[in-house]
Amino acid sequence: MRVLVVEDDAEAATAMLRGLTEAGHEAAHAIDGAYGLLEAQRGGYDVYVVDRMMPRLDGIGMVETLRKDGDQTPVLFLSALGEVEDRIKGLKAGGDDYLVKPYAFGELIARVEALARRRETGGVQTVLKVGDLEMNLIARTVHRGATEIDLQPREFQLLEFLMRHANQSVTRTMLLEKVWEYHFDPQTNVIDVHISRLRSKIDKGFDKAMLQTVRGAGYRLEA
Amino acid sequence: MKLPSLFRRTPFRLTLLFLALFAAAASAILAYVYFASASEARARSQKDVLVELTALQAIYRTRGVDALNQALVERIVRGGPYLYVLIDARGEQISSNLSKSPVDPKQPAAAGEWEPFPLTSTDAEGRVQTRQGIGQEVLLSGKERLFVGEDIGDIEESLSRLTQALWMAMGGVLLLGATGGLIISRNVERSMGRLNTVVAAVRDGDLKARAQVRGREGSGGDELDELGRGLNGMLDRLEASMASIRHAGDAIAHDLRSPLTRMRAKLEVALIDAEAGKVSGVDALEIALSEADHLLKTFNTVLAIARLQAGGAPDPQVFDAADLAADMAELYEPAAEDKGLEFSAEIERGLMIEGNQPFLAQALANVIDNAIKYTPTGGAVMLRARRRSSGEIEYSVTDTGPGVPAEDRERVVQRFVRLDNSRSEAGSGLGLSLVSAVLEAHAGRVQLDEGPGAYGGFGPGLRVALVLQPAP
Repeated sequence: MRVLVVEDDAEAATAMLRGLTEAGHEAAHAIDGAYGLLEAQRGGYDVYVVDRMMPRLDGIGMVETLRKDGDQTPVLFLSALGEVEDRIKGLKAGGDDYLVKPYAFGELIARVEALARRRETGGVQTVLKVGDLEMNLIARTVHRGATEIDLQPREFQLLEFLMRHANQSVTRTMLLEKVWEYHFDPQTNVIDVHISRLRSKIDKGFDKAMLQTVRGAGYRLEA
Repeated sequence: MKLPSLFRRTPFRLTLLFLALFAAAASAILAYVYFASASEARARSQKDVLVELTALQAIYRTRGVDALNQALVERIVRGGPYLYVLIDARGEQISSNLSKSPVDPKQPAAAGEWEPFPLTSTDAEGRVQTRQGIGQEVLLSGKERLFVGEDIGDIEESLSRLTQALWMAMGGVLLLGATGGLIISRNVERSMGRLNTVVAAVRDGDLKARAQVRGREGSGGDELDELGRGLNGMLDRLEASMASIRHAGDAIAHDLRSPLTRMRAKLEVALIDAEAGKVSGVDALEIALSEADHLLKTFNTVLAIARLQAGGAPDPQVFDAADLAADMAELYEPAAEDKGLEFSAEIERGLMIEGNQPFLAQALANVIDNAIKYTPTGGAVMLRARRRSSGEIEYSVTDTGPGVPAEDRERVVQRFVRLDNSRSEAGSGLGLSLVSAVLEAHAGRVQLDEGPGAYGGFGPGLRVALVLQPAP
């Protein structure tokens, strides 16, 4: 996966490039919105990671220009501004996700991968398959092998999200944002409890545990 | 303080402007009255003169010059308002009751023209007075010339008396106005001076300075008192904000110091252990990372509180408080049950409120999280969402934990306050402060009450209510 990092803070950019490279991605860096725009127009990127506050051309301006030119590459905004209205402004400008600084690398990489993945899986799917786990989105049923698994509505949504991002780390914050659709800090790891309930339903009694905990990042559903 | 020059003061300038306008209007009226009365009086005199002239001409035509002369003499002797001059065809004056004739015998008669002329007379005290006369001359058929005039001194005199009176009145008004303006301007100046003193004091750093005002809010005093009250209100708010910022600064320093100290100590211990080969460097770094995260969280919460207090709730939307309560119950129930707590929710439907949903979610989450955290295993936590009989929307979380003593309840919602017995628990001590800031930003309030009471080793418990206004 090719990621374009547009960030004026050289140190932050270096660390980010290293993190992305170590996660197995290709990453390029532009030092401001203007360079970012030039680089983006050369094409070939799967995700743009764009800092909101930059000299010359800021992140919002850059992304608005790209969107006007018809570039639909997913954008992850980075910002030191964590306020709700800032998030809304970023998403309105054409951003697809919003991450507040400082962030954990695990969080950044999980979100970048989720954005790139979303792009790949175009079209309407009615059945999701990961390994021997199968989810029917129309009948709202889940099977692992031949066993039918009975899930509560929220557990179903949670598993659907994990299956759509199979073999990919998803963080607790991502789950709260995308499954519960809330943006706040739950203080304790309430998400963990939901995951462990789900895990007991889909993994208990099977040889292979599919729902893995990723240290320092979150969870991963593995085939 | 040096007073600005009289003419730079607004009330005085306004008074002067008013007086100038008044004087101009009064002059215009005066001029109109003068000219109207004068021309009226003149027209009347002229008409009288013409009537007299016509009568005398009739005598001349019917009975001749001698009869005319006789009539004139009779009239002069009898005394009347008119002045006569009769000149014969040779230019000799036949009769007149004027000491100095206004008619030049050598000049031909200017028929039909009104001639003003001076009149001299001697009054009772022997002073010579000059008065105004006006008259007309006609050329009779036998070349005699007859002049009839009238003394209009009386009219002029009364007009000039009128003018004088009006001028004096106007002078008086101007004088009174100027004095009034000066007094008003002095008064306003004094009130403004008081306000200026306050402003100057605040500028020099004394935030406690307040303006003296008469009357109370909404009643009593004038606009300047109103302004003074506004100024005082603004200063109250400013002073409170400043105090709050100063307090927050102290509190941040205080609260960030303990995790920093803890992190430093842990790193030092880890370094010693790592050197001795007891633990790996990775563990030490992980500890450092989690402490750093904790610091950042504290920092973000402080920032959120500050912004809420400064700018209110951003991006308000109308939504159903019941939905939020249901989502929170669903989110937290497994965590409560994992801890061995009985968790229940009682949610009325259709509780529309207006506010910032993420912040209100955070507030409710903090309260539920506290309840779960402080209630020992085997206890119970209950979430309720309902409409009060007052119409207000209320979230409440009741637990069977140790509760908060009544005397501490005010204090725990303030920033950074953690009760001593909870000091060992993780948390920044900002949870309830953020809740309080969120509710304040939504014109709501936080209420801490007694829980269900002590029973079987539990309790007395705590009931935290978040009270919000219903959406309009």
